[in-house]
Amino acid sequence: MYNEDHKIAFNFSPELDVAFLLELYGEDLQQAELVFESTVQQLRAELQLAENRFHDGDTAGLKKVIHKMKPLFGYIGLNETMQEFASFEAVCAQAATMAEAEGGFHHIRSISLEAIKITENEIKRLKQYNSQYL
Amino acid sequence: MKYQSIIVEDLQVAAEFLKRFCEKSGVIDVAHHFFNAEDALLFLKDNVIDLIFLDVEMPGATGFELLDQLVYTPQVILTTSKTEYAYDAFQYNVTDYLKKPFTYQRFLEAIQKVSKKTEQLNGNSEQDHMFIKTDGKLIRLHNDDILFIESMGDYVKFITPAKKYITHNTIKNLETKVNPQVFMKVHRSYIVNFTKINDIQENVLFINGNMIPISKTHKSGVMQKINIL
Repeated sequence: MYNEDHKIAFNFSPELDVAFLLELYGEDLQQAELVFESTVQQLRAELQLAENRFHDGDTAGLKKVIHKMKPLFGYIGLNETMQEFASFEAVCAQAATMAEAEGGFHHIRSISLEAIKITENEIKRLKQYNSQYL
Repeated sequence: MKYQSIIVEDLQVAAEFLKRFCEKSGVIDVAHHFFNAEDALLFLKDNVIDLIFLDVEMPGATGFELLDQLVYTPQVILTTSKTEYAYDAFQYNVTDYLKKPFTYQRFLEAIQKVSKKTEQLNGNSEQDHMFIKTDGKLIRLHNDDILFIESMGDYVKFITPAKKYITHNTIKNLETKVNPQVFMKVHRSYIVNFTKINDIQENVLFINGNMIPISKTHKSGVMQKINIL
């Protein structure tokens, strides 16, 4: 049962842009939990799509997926990752062949997987915190 | 006043976020969320709304392509993750431009702009005249004197029964400034005073012997506006 005296304080993890997340969600951590869950699901789906586009050699298709993934990182406080996606989107727009985007793609894939890991951890923490109110 | 809106956004998370903000604001009703411009356009052909939250890059047509095909002009808030569209946003006379992800505070600022613009437009709709700058002076034209307005690139031509006036402006800009109770856009190059229409045949209309094309996208809007018995 919820008890104000035993309430655990919640702080977003320091690897996230804490100030921005506080501005984005305020005290609405239920909303944060929902958005983080929805984001991680979409990241997984889009990453798979990006891999398909990469293996098909479809640079225009890859650019579209990267464009769609980019703002997702903003909702989970990974603004630097979002910036890296913006840079890679520009690379895709310029690339005539997939070979020109290959190095960038592997990096993007790696930071996406890392972002998913961080987000999953944050979801666990948010769930634990929000369950106090159940 | 509550604004009727739609969200055109291919990113589920962004749309959910926006819906929540709209609900929280208490002044925006979200009638629908569309994942692409084509579905939104079908909806907009039969429904009138006040405001569109519009993403730019989506599968299929872009947000700007959707705006090109609209029969009427609701207010538009662009929601995009790129800042490169600022110039286009200005050209399309959008009310505001939100870069995703945006905070509730920033969202409220955009809604305030919508409200301010609505007040301006309502003010305009009561006007029975407009001033145009031509030949180095401002000339008052009564709505009732204007037959139609024709695009000439960066200029437009106001046609009255007595005279033609050429001024530096665009149809896209004028579309939001003329009284919607009297004027309507029927083609990318024409705004007509629909009280002056003499007859309509297929995809053209006639005003005082002038033949004006009606584009496919504007046809249903024209037919809705005229009084068919």
